[in-house]
Amino acid sequence: MKKRYWRCNICNDVHYGIAPPELCPTCQALNAYVEITAEEARKFLGGGPDVTFTPEDFRQAIERFSSGNEFMVNPDAGKVGTLLQGVFENERNHGFKYCPCRLCTKDWEEDLKLVCPCNFKIHETYRGLPNGECWCGLFVRRT
Amino acid sequence: MARLLMFHGRECPHCKKMMPVIEQLEKETGVVFEKYEIWHDEKNADLMRSYKPVIAPKCGGQLRVPTFLNADTNDVICGEVGPDKLKAWTEKK
Repeated sequence: MKKRYWRCNICNDVHYGIAPPELCPTCQALNAYVEITAEEARKFLGGGPDVTFTPEDFRQAIERFSSGNEFMVNPDAGKVGTLLQGVFENERNHGFKYCPCRLCTKDWEEDLKLVCPCNFKIHETYRGLPNGECWCGLFVRRT
Repeated sequence: MARLLMFHGRECPHCKKMMPVIEQLEKETGVVFEKYEIWHDEKNADLMRSYKPVIAPKCGGQLRVPTFLNADTNDVICGEVGPDKLKAWTEKK
């Protein structure tokens, strides 16, 4: 199934997925999403406020992301600092916050799997391991 | 002597950790690793991509660093590894 673009007709939230959300996470409207084109989606998102992240902002974002999960950001601050530097270098040089411990293949769809945070719970370095961590070690299982 | 390649990333902490291990091994045994940094050098990245059919099956289907490749035998080690295991790997025929 191909992902498509959807817009909430109440608050203009934009969703990219195979189906629209039933409940809009922003305005709580029910069944408010209508399909739009990629061009429209880009226009809606492009006109929004310019949100920029420093590595510290991103670190705080992934801390919040981890807080409700079974994993946490690696307590080794030195390692995290190196990794975030790499993530930001990759965004500057290659367009996305790619994992610094893997290499993109030039296949757009495939390379989206490398954007940090990735879906590391399926990695053999994490799945089923009591001390599991993502491949690069940015996220570790909470003990 | 076998042609040994190491693919690494400048901001990969596992790669950084492996560097002194490699240097020590090179000093001790005379083996030489060709080192290719893959995020800041597109030629090196393309070289690693050219080995994808060999590397990916041993690296979770992806191109990951650090990766050690014996270009003569296509033997691959993916990820951080201890000095003894790496030494044994370099001695494999």
